[in-house]
Amino acid sequence: MANQDAPGFADNLIHLPRNVWRSLFRNPLPSSDLGRSQTTFSNFFLHVHPVKTHANSLRPAYTFGLGVIAFSLFIILAATGGLLMFYYVPSVEQAHNRMLDLSGTVAFGVLLRNMHRWAAHGMVAIVFLHMCRVFFTGSYKRPREFNWVLGVVLLLITLFLSFTGYLLPWDQLAFWAITVGTSIAGYAPVVGEGMRFLLLGDRVVGQEALLRFYVLHVAVLPAVLLALVGVHFWRIRKDGGLSRPEGSDLPEAQKNFPPALEGKREGLAPAAKTQKTKTFGVMGLVRGPFNKVGNTPDNMVFSWPNLFVAELFCFALAVLVVLVAALLFNAPLEAPANPLHPPNPSKAPWYFLGLQEMVSYSAFWGGVGIPTLFVIGLLLVPYLDRSPKGVGVWFSRHRLLANSVFVLFLLVNLVLIIVGTFFRGPNWSLVVPW
Amino acid sequence: MSPTQESQDTRLSRRFVLTLTSLMGLMGASGIAALSNFLFFKPRVTYGEPSRFRVGPPESFPLGTRLPLGSQRVTLVRGEAGVAAISNTCTHLGCVVSTTEIGFDCPCHGSRYDADGTVLGGPAPRPLSWFKVSLAPNGEIEVDTSTPVPQGTYLAV
Repeated sequence: MANQDAPGFADNLIHLPRNVWRSLFRNPLPSSDLGRSQTTFSNFFLHVHPVKTHANSLRPAYTFGLGVIAFSLFIILAATGGLLMFYYVPSVEQAHNRMLDLSGTVAFGVLLRNMHRWAAHGMVAIVFLHMCRVFFTGSYKRPREFNWVLGVVLLLITLFLSFTGYLLPWDQLAFWAITVGTSIAGYAPVVGEGMRFLLLGDRVVGQEALLRFYVLHVAVLPAVLLALVGVHFWRIRKDGGLSRPEGSDLPEAQKNFPPALEGKREGLAPAAKTQKTKTFGVMGLVRGPFNKVGNTPDNMVFSWPNLFVAELFCFALAVLVVLVAALLFNAPLEAPANPLHPPNPSKAPWYFLGLQEMVSYSAFWGGVGIPTLFVIGLLLVPYLDRSPKGVGVWFSRHRLLANSVFVLFLLVNLVLIIVGTFFRGPNWSLVVPW
Repeated sequence: MSPTQESQDTRLSRRFVLTLTSLMGLMGASGIAALSNFLFFKPRVTYGEPSRFRVGPPESFPLGTRLPLGSQRVTLVRGEAGVAAISNTCTHLGCVVSTTEIGFDCPCHGSRYDADGTVLGGPAPRPLSWFKVSLAPNGEIEVDTSTPVPQGTYLAV
């Protein structure tokens, strides 16, 4: 035989599936700590995650998985939106007909549109709740200030994405909601009218506006959102993982130190202290209290499988809820847009109804002044509240003032949205919905 | 010390000057890119309804005419003093107002205007705009919705 030491061609054929599989997944399903580390570290989609995650970050009642659910909804939106693009034409003549075609001629067209609509509303709500979680746990504090700023920007982009998508069905609801919404933008001093003209590409909502909103909705904004989400995730790790209560990094043995041995605690203290300082690891210079040299016991668990199962659960939950909602409730589609006959009353999308309600009292202050101050306030929160106390705990006593102010803002906004949604009838006069 | 070493203390280094000019070049290029993008996004022509249009000879609008022109979003008015064009776009949030016996009503948020477009009630912050009306060379009335004129400006015909 010529090829005694090399495997024969027949052997190669027999082992083809196995060899392809092994070249695809370098590590078998891990059964050891080393394997768990390697799986997380060497897989492209998993290496965004740390090899080990703090146990506190996995507590469902700490995060409620809101960030992961928000991103899951974005994935659902990208998938369903990409599919819908195959049948949609951003033209005032065709857009509404294409919406009708989705229910008439496209297989699963209605389901996809419903999923896209409910996931979009869900994402606005979940991103907002995610912000509330971060606020109420004081998680925006040092060193996470900038990630909070990124989060506020991501909230605004989410709103803008939803707003641009609102116009695309080109029905009465879409046309007049965008007319009203962009008119609110027109109240901004000096730049307002110019901004509105730039956004609409015309003085009124028409073909140019539809095309501009379409490009923003399917290309520009998702790309910007994805890039910033990447930075948002990256910063989580560079800021030392999710926030957690002070002292939760200490080994259990040190936290519950027996009183009888209190005197010997001094001997252990330096070990705890070094965790708080900069350390030099093999991967280079890493900042933060999370990176330790040596075999110090801590509250970290392996990301595989703990974190990944949690994330998968959040994703599956998001898909399930969106799917069930899409099967039960159809996304509304009104008559084709008629620029001559506004419905009475014309309402902006629900998350802007608080704005619209305020606008009905004062156009400038309600539509531009107060929202701008609100956003600037949100952006500055981590730089104005520098107290390191109360991080990592829901509704900490140390944060009573900050949390109360935030709750007040939430309640005011919620009441305005509810009034605008349910209690405003024709001519924007107060009505009782029951 | 040699002369070259001395000169390093008093003169800008070549590296510094090159860095500075490169930086200025990059910033200038970014500025021009931003400006050209702005100009790109600001449309020079719009494809919707033309802002100047002719509506017909003055004789076709007898005294007391109040004719809403739907797609152009103006109401043509013929009063004692002549012809005028009043905007149909609500100054509150851009809805189309409907003509009533006393003036205009906005169905969106309940703004009410009198026959001249003055606000009678509701959230509207300003009266309805009036647009320039002129006689075209062929004798027809021409409305220019891109040129607002003061309230009460009539074209004598």
